[in-house]
Amino acid sequence: MKLEGYPKDVTLRDGVSMSIRPIEPDDAEALAAFYRELPGEDRLFLREDVTRPGWSEEFIRSVDFDHVFSLLAEDNGRVMGNATLYRSRHGWSAHVGEIRIAVARAYQRHGLGTALASQLVQHATSIGLEKIVAHVVENQAGAKRAFEKLGFHKDAVLRGHVKDIHGVTRDLVVMSSDVSHLWEAMAALMADYSPTMGE
Amino acid sequence: MPKSEIRIGGLGGQGVILCGYIIGRAAAIYGGKHATLIQSFGPEARGSACSAQMTISDQEIGYPYVTRPDILVVMSVDAYTQFAPQLKPGGVLLYENELITVDNRLPADVHALGIPATRFAEEIGRRLVLNIVMVGFFASTTGLLEFDAVERAVRDSVPRGTEDLNLRALRRGHDYGLEVMAARA
Repeated sequence: MKLEGYPKDVTLRDGVSMSIRPIEPDDAEALAAFYRELPGEDRLFLREDVTRPGWSEEFIRSVDFDHVFSLLAEDNGRVMGNATLYRSRHGWSAHVGEIRIAVARAYQRHGLGTALASQLVQHATSIGLEKIVAHVVENQAGAKRAFEKLGFHKDAVLRGHVKDIHGVTRDLVVMSSDVSHLWEAMAALMADYSPTMGE
Repeated sequence: MPKSEIRIGGLGGQGVILCGYIIGRAAAIYGGKHATLIQSFGPEARGSACSAQMTISDQEIGYPYVTRPDILVVMSVDAYTQFAPQLKPGGVLLYENELITVDNRLPADVHALGIPATRFAEEIGRRLVLNIVMVGFFASTTGLLEFDAVERAVRDSVPRGTEDLNLRALRRGHDYGLEVMAARA
């Protein structure tokens, strides 16, 4: 599916230009290579074993516009970041989306994660989601700051929920951004009553 | 362009007035035409009958009330029942065809064009944008407004942050209208 507005060029804090676009079926190999090159420590915090053969093909097959929306960030054609918005297909949390982001070490702390997250937040709003969550390990200060800049706040802390590569137990912070106010504003605009009636 | 008289009817909460406001804004601000809008509401904010009367013209408009509309846009059965007999013979009825069934109360030679606007809005992500789907359908079926003008009017009128979804709703209604018109040609 071709999405309007993509590819999108973004300039990072150090002036480096990156191109962000939705993932496509042909990207399986490039995506697998990106995750293979991530340090083991970074891969440990991912929910899936991204180095498993066939993972990237399966993942790309799962991508659609509404329930799994995934972006790649490229520097001269090389994948340097991957960000995905997940939305439940049914059930009581269908109004909630979850963001997962991975950025190559060379581009961490350069604003690439923020740029990717910002695109996903815009997309989440455009498909009508009311709440967006992201999971961040307590010592990922840069990621926490990036989400805070985008209006996320700490929603919950899961104590001792993850273990890092050295076996150290760490807290997992659930950060969230509530965008339901946008839809409340839209509903108010559509209320079809006169604010001056009866005056 | 001769004067076009339009009535939009539905229930409070369906965004009937916003629908009229966007059409009027597209015509007057971005389309270089003259437009008037009169709103009427029931006493309740939601669920009561609600309608907008609009006039769009190249000339200045001296009388803004609509008695026999050229175009009727309806989003509820009650609005259809009440306003359909008032349509001018040969006029255009745009209706939500999964909520409303057209019957013999329509005047002669009316062109009735239906759209499943509620379903489209739900598929896009928010039932709330049913009215924006109708605006898109209005633009492509009546030919009174350029798509660009309506797009700009939608951008101006909806809350910041909701533009993308609203514009997708607009495009969906517009494209469906083009399909309907192509099938009739």
